[in-house]
Amino acid sequence: MESRILQLISALRASGVRVSLAESSEAFSAVDLMGIQDREHFRLSLRSTLIKDVRDLPVFDKLFPLFFGMGQPPMMGGSPMDNLTPEEAQMLADAIRQYTEQLRQRMERLMNGEPLTKSELEALAQMVGLNQMDDLRYQNWMAQRMMRALAFPEVQEALRELMEQLQQMGMNKERVEQLRGLVQQNLQGMQQQINQFAGQRIAENLSEQNPNQNLDGLMNRPFNALSDADKKLLQREVKRLAAMLRTRIALRQKHAKSGQLDPKATIRANLKYQGVPMEIKHRDRVHKPKLVVICDISTSMRFCSELMLSFLFALQGQVRKTNAFAFIDHLEYISDEFNGSNADEAIASVLWRMPSGYYNTDLGWSLNDFNNEYMDTLNGQTTLILVGDGRNNYNDPRIDLFTTMSRRAARTLWLNPEPPYLWHGDSDMPKYAPLCNNVLKVSNLKELAEAVDQLLAG
Amino acid sequence: MTNSFASTDSVKSALSAQKYIASDEIATIVYLAQKLEKPLLTEGPAGVGKTELAKAIAGATGRELIRLQCYEGLDESKALYEWEYSKQLLYTQLLRDKLNDTLGKADSLAEAADRLANEEDVFFSDRFLLQRPLLRAILCDAPTVLLIDEIDRADAEFEAFLLEVLSDFQVSVPELGTLTAAHKPFVVLTSNNTRELSEALKRRCLYLFIDYPSLEEELAVVRLKVPELNPKLARQAVEFVQKLRKTDMRKSPSISETLDWANALVSLNAKNIDKETLEDTISVLLKHEADLQKAKRQIINPPPPPTIPPRQRPDEFGKFSGN
Repeated sequence: MESRILQLISALRASGVRVSLAESSEAFSAVDLMGIQDREHFRLSLRSTLIKDVRDLPVFDKLFPLFFGMGQPPMMGGSPMDNLTPEEAQMLADAIRQYTEQLRQRMERLMNGEPLTKSELEALAQMVGLNQMDDLRYQNWMAQRMMRALAFPEVQEALRELMEQLQQMGMNKERVEQLRGLVQQNLQGMQQQINQFAGQRIAENLSEQNPNQNLDGLMNRPFNALSDADKKLLQREVKRLAAMLRTRIALRQKHAKSGQLDPKATIRANLKYQGVPMEIKHRDRVHKPKLVVICDISTSMRFCSELMLSFLFALQGQVRKTNAFAFIDHLEYISDEFNGSNADEAIASVLWRMPSGYYNTDLGWSLNDFNNEYMDTLNGQTTLILVGDGRNNYNDPRIDLFTTMSRRAARTLWLNPEPPYLWHGDSDMPKYAPLCNNVLKVSNLKELAEAVDQLLAG
Repeated sequence: MTNSFASTDSVKSALSAQKYIASDEIATIVYLAQKLEKPLLTEGPAGVGKTELAKAIAGATGRELIRLQCYEGLDESKALYEWEYSKQLLYTQLLRDKLNDTLGKADSLAEAADRLANEEDVFFSDRFLLQRPLLRAILCDAPTVLLIDEIDRADAEFEAFLLEVLSDFQVSVPELGTLTAAHKPFVVLTSNNTRELSEALKRRCLYLFIDYPSLEEELAVVRLKVPELNPKLARQAVEFVQKLRKTDMRKSPSISETLDWANALVSLNAKNIDKETLEDTISVLLKHEADLQKAKRQIINPPPPPTIPPRQRPDEFGKFSGN
């Protein structure tokens, strides 16, 4: 039992849940206390001690039954062969004879209601490569492959034929229906057994895996090599990043202590000196960051624009004074959309509103838009962030406007998915780069995290 | 009235005596928290009864409930203790004669200082210590329930400061030394999940996520808290609220809003939940103008079945082309 719990814990860790040593020992004392007779109590004592985040609850709910399953699913149909009359049994034996040896054996098993044995399951697992799988998303697929290896479709087809034949041979129609029903239930039982086995095996493999290797790999993978599922995972990570950011902002704000005299705090602090002001208290000057972010969502950037936008969304949730803009051939203000509650929806609506076109990126024109309408958002406290590859289709880069903007802003940062050696062709990066305080290459999440650090450093 | 629970079932019955309907999950975890002497961290959407749970536990165990409401800028002096300077000053002023008596007889300055030092304890005693919730929970003679409400609103530093209190149930007051709890309080923390709590804090707590209740559970709560509402109407009301929760709202109605609405229906003497009653009372359930408009559009006056053509995707063409 104990090793099983440990396996569950390491599977949780491998799926990205943080479980500390203190928490796992806590889990053991909780289990000691509640006992293991009641499955529900057992589940709750593990869950409340191991899982400390709503987003991790589904992971636990998925893994728990795999490690502490209900035992083998029963063959609900029982063995229909037993209650056949001798004539009926004879009929069945005649009808079944026409099939190949292998198919016949399988059909007979279903008729007798025998589940698969452990060694048979092992052999199947070997055959379809289940032992190398460590991702629960493949559970159904693996189960299907195992069923195909057992020739399930053929068996099903043969059973259907068999039933028809039995009816033709003169067996009572109701009896045939009954027989078919029972065999069908047995079949489902076997499917469940296989599915459960596949899930358990994958979960066990998962528990042997090194924790977070998966996520680390993702952190380093370039944005354009990510699958949709990976993106989901990363979006979660982005949110965590943004939450960390807020804490860090709070800590850094405290360091900026050089504000005005705070009379209230001073009087309070000096009561102990009979009101003689010995300790002077200052009001904390709150160093609130202000951001203006301009994000390129044109076709060349689409592969990462979703992630960048979700980062923007998270950022706006943390730094209240964020003005976000997106552009392709012209500039649009998108902060309004981002004030809603749902990130996916906000991003979808931005991408929907601004469909990408055909060679139409025009940063120069977008900067012109910015200059005409939103210049007042930039002032001495603002950090200007540009997200894009600076590929401008040989349009006028409007360096003059960009110079004004970067002069007005306290700092100018450029996040570019391309490294400097790719800045040629229609890339205007070499012209923009000298005007920025910093140009950071952000082509994976790890670099994005580092960029955030840079962002807050000043 | 006992100071602790004997089993999960007794948790359940004791809480229901306090008019709090606890699911098996809540009962089990509350029982565990008490047995392991661990703080209980409850999370969930606003208004599902997290604070109410702490009150019910206090009521069920007969302990005093000490509540610390967190907010941005909450610090030690407001959460733990503060010296009452003004009272100290007042005492020194009033006791000046007595002090003169004591100190006047001294022959030398050194002796006077010694005598004053002997009396020092008078000025830094519990008498002048203004106990704030945390210290009160620790120093209380009887076991208490300490509710730290909306911990996610407090700053990260305060969270770190709480760690000592939560893991050892002790606090350090420089002038008095370390004060350890005679009776460990039952600590309940609540969080609306507006920000990520630190790993260290989470590690010290048991975790309970309270979600919106199912139809039957919510109905039971309504029946218990608003018994005047007739059963048929109660079911209709709860069904309507559950339907609202399924639509995407900025702020979904929670149990407390359902209860408000139920009370509103009772006082309006509603016989049926029809269109008019709904339009009059829906503002009790939904607190955002946008949500109200949405509900009116979608649920109260549903549009005719849609005949909108499937959405076209204009970016389909541009997808695989250049910039």
